[in-house]
Amino acid sequence: MTFLQPWMLVALPLVSLPIVIHLINQRRFQTVPWAAMRFLLSARALSRGYSRLRHWLVMALRMLAVAAVVFAVGRPLSRGWLALAAGGRPDTALVILDRSPSMAERDGAASDTKLATGRRQVAEALVTLGATRTLLLVDPDRGPVEVADPGALESLPAAGASAAPADMPRLLEAAHDYLRSSGAGTTEIWICSDQRSNDWAIDAPAWGGIRDAFARLPQPVRFQLVAFEAAAAANVAVRVNAAVLEGRGDERRLSITVALARDAAAGPVTVPVTIEIGGASSTVDVPLSEREAVLANHAIPLGAATEPRGWGRVSIPADANAADNDFFFVFDEAPPRRTLVVAEEAAAARSLALAAEIPPERGLAATATIVAPGALETSGLEDAALVLWQAPLPDGSDRAALEAHVARGGQVILLPPSRPEETSDRTFAGVGWTAWREHDPPVAPVTWRTDRDLLANTRSGAALPVGGLVARRTCGLAGDVVTLAGLPGGHPLLARAATSEVEGAAGAGPVRPVSNVAFLTTTAAPKDSTLAAEGVVLYCLLQRAIERGLLPLSNVRLVEAGGEAAAILRAGATPRRLSPPVAGAVTEPGWTAGVYALGDRLVAVNRPQAEDAATLVDDARIDEAFAGLALTRIEGQAGGTGRLVQEIWRGFLVAVILALVGEGLLCLPSPPRPQTAAGGPRAFEAAA
Amino acid sequence: MIPDRQPRAFLDPQALARLAAVPLVARKPMVGGVSGRHASPHRGSSVEFAEYRKYVPGDDLRRLDWRAFGRSDRFYVKEYEADTNLRLCLVLDTSGSMGFGGAAQPAAGVRGAGTRADGAAGMRRIDYARRICGTLGYLAAAQGDAVGISCAADGLVRSLPPRRSPAHLRLVFDVLDEAVPTGETRLPEVLHELAETIRQRALVVIVSDLFVEPAALESAFGHLRFRRHDVAVFHLLDPQEMAFAFHRPTRFLDMEGSAAIFADPVEIADRYRRALDDYLAGLRRLVLESGIDYHRVLTSEPVEQVLARFLVGRAAARGLR
Repeated sequence: MTFLQPWMLVALPLVSLPIVIHLINQRRFQTVPWAAMRFLLSARALSRGYSRLRHWLVMALRMLAVAAVVFAVGRPLSRGWLALAAGGRPDTALVILDRSPSMAERDGAASDTKLATGRRQVAEALVTLGATRTLLLVDPDRGPVEVADPGALESLPAAGASAAPADMPRLLEAAHDYLRSSGAGTTEIWICSDQRSNDWAIDAPAWGGIRDAFARLPQPVRFQLVAFEAAAAANVAVRVNAAVLEGRGDERRLSITVALARDAAAGPVTVPVTIEIGGASSTVDVPLSEREAVLANHAIPLGAATEPRGWGRVSIPADANAADNDFFFVFDEAPPRRTLVVAEEAAAARSLALAAEIPPERGLAATATIVAPGALETSGLEDAALVLWQAPLPDGSDRAALEAHVARGGQVILLPPSRPEETSDRTFAGVGWTAWREHDPPVAPVTWRTDRDLLANTRSGAALPVGGLVARRTCGLAGDVVTLAGLPGGHPLLARAATSEVEGAAGAGPVRPVSNVAFLTTTAAPKDSTLAAEGVVLYCLLQRAIERGLLPLSNVRLVEAGGEAAAILRAGATPRRLSPPVAGAVTEPGWTAGVYALGDRLVAVNRPQAEDAATLVDDARIDEAFAGLALTRIEGQAGGTGRLVQEIWRGFLVAVILALVGEGLLCLPSPPRPQTAAGGPRAFEAAA
Repeated sequence: MIPDRQPRAFLDPQALARLAAVPLVARKPMVGGVSGRHASPHRGSSVEFAEYRKYVPGDDLRRLDWRAFGRSDRFYVKEYEADTNLRLCLVLDTSGSMGFGGAAQPAAGVRGAGTRADGAAGMRRIDYARRICGTLGYLAAAQGDAVGISCAADGLVRSLPPRRSPAHLRLVFDVLDEAVPTGETRLPEVLHELAETIRQRALVVIVSDLFVEPAALESAFGHLRFRRHDVAVFHLLDPQEMAFAFHRPTRFLDMEGSAAIFADPVEIADRYRRALDDYLAGLRRLVLESGIDYHRVLTSEPVEQVLARFLVGRAAARGLR
């Protein structure tokens, strides 16, 4: 319990007033010589137990009444049922809002969303607490922004719903950085979240540092976690896994793959999926019997009259969470999947070119051109998605062209030259070749990164057969790299340059520290490895690199909402929103789902796939993450009408009244007994 | 009656004059040494016919009933009741509790206490007892009865055997004057002792607050009755003891010992009265079963009124002559 006027609690010793008065009264007794002691002894023995109990009760009620008066004057605050953290009015209140799509969940059609409920309750609490400063933190890159009127938190555009996940570790790091630099006083950090795993990333190693950093802050910091539980109502999320334009002319059609997912397996239902393209919509009933269902390669004829580039939306009927009922997609004729293979010997690069020129889907055009070193600048590098470089590291004009290719988002995979020691002084992206290393017996990769990048598992979760590869000879690397696949002894088989030199458009700042330069430490030649023989890994690796390289070449792009999408939309011309605005959502492009026109390009922004997984972080894990810090958890409920913090002095006044009434009842004299001989002289005379 | 030259505070001449009109009589035959106004178990020469008896040689011929001889041709002698004097044994409880009442007690906080027109309200119990004993002793002596007194506290404190002489009455009055309430009550033991030591039938008048175990009292009364004594009891109670109307926390000091009880009277009043009720009810049952002439007296009542009720009750039971 906290108090708005905690200094009034200095009057708490007044609680002992009834005891003092009682002791004084005890000292003011009269002494009477008494003859009929036997009756007194008998009466006292009879009444001792009850009398003592009544005495204590009366005393306790009087003390309770005094204490309740003191508490009432101190203006106590109630913080839910669990808040027992002591403290008074904070100097700074910092609100971290989880605006992720899962916070749009409702507990019933008429109720507010979790986010709206949390905003309202936190705003009311802040108004009641009356902190000197109130800050809102929703974007770790921008840091906290000051809120002039805590009561207006609900209506702040920045506090609106977003399609981006809440990166809670980074948000807390941003909060810590602000508190450390601003020198704020006593701070309360209000976290309003539904504890989704993807938002909290509770397994991230950053949590230990966050905990220690907050513990080292000089000012007292209390955390108030308004934790929303999962809504009871069923929820289905819709997503487009692929939207591929196929055919030409009148045969042109959009092949779309729609995935449905729900929080928990329930009875079979049929979900009407509405696909809307260019104002025309069609509905397809998709049966959903387990947790997931896929409408694969659903063909929608477009005809010759329709522009080859366009956007659409897939939607399902309203359910518990409106934020995952829509998914936007964009489509266009795929740019040519052009790969340049720069090789010392054309024969050695043949297997690489073969793997690059096989399109992953029917109807896609893919080419691979083998060029000699030195001819890169004139080989049409500007529309190439991937450059495979199996030659001494580039120098001169080749290097400049390759760097320009990397700078615009093109992908480069470098393979070792036949004699790396001759050019050991050269580096590219800060990495250079050292010397060949023979492996006898041949070695196979023992570790590789399965969660992301070129060797990640497939969408169905299956791992690539990287472990089946055999390397007979690898070339050493010098420089700072991130290993994607490692051989025994820690030698990399596939690695990325650790620092990206890719910059966005002028003035846009870094897009994201993702390197476009990878190093494969062996070749596809049979004498070096089984990359060509076990072609699946090589094929997937190259096709994924081509996909990444196509992104800057394509006129349409599908991105996840958040800082990356916002940066992409900020980088070019002024984005124009094509899809209708979402009510109650943030207005900043890139943070809410929709389709934007960025010059000639179309960008579809959607929630990340992890938002559809309704996995929650255990309370115990969060308690562990905040171990040693003052964390108070307040259970919230979507649509809840209660207040997180409210003044409860009225309750204490009621307690005063109840205590006084109880004390009065206990002090009431016993009802008069029927008059008997001992009732007085007159009765005695009558009896006598 | 020889006037007592020493003034006695416990004697009210006007009350004595009024009470003298009603004789003090025993409810049982008494065995006296001289002729008196009380029935005797022996035949005597009073005018009260008792019975006929066959003539035996040696009988006084003047007591032959010649009419009976004429009717039955047999000799009968008429016998008459013997009147004898009374032995009045006053038993005064002088234990500490008899000092209760009067100015020693706080008048404040006591409600409902009866008041007397003569201002006798709040009289100490021992003073009230002195008045009863003194008045009865005087009345008995005035009608030629022997008067004795015993003071009972934690034992038989003082004892004067019954005598008929006026000088002895003065000694009795002196004992009354000198009686100081002190010590514990051992009235039952004293009554047992008196039952053994009073050899002839007597009227035993006990004046006490009877703050003892009723069972012990029952035994003592039974002992006295077994010895054919006529037992009368004046049970003195103070209005404050009955009302128990204190309002402030009070420390009650035992008048017969060193014990003290601190209590809030408001809390225990109800149970105190209940205990007192139970005690009085038990005592009433006891006296009814043992045939004791029992008089429960509030010390706020006029002594004369109490004694008049006592004397008239006895005379009515016996039949005035």
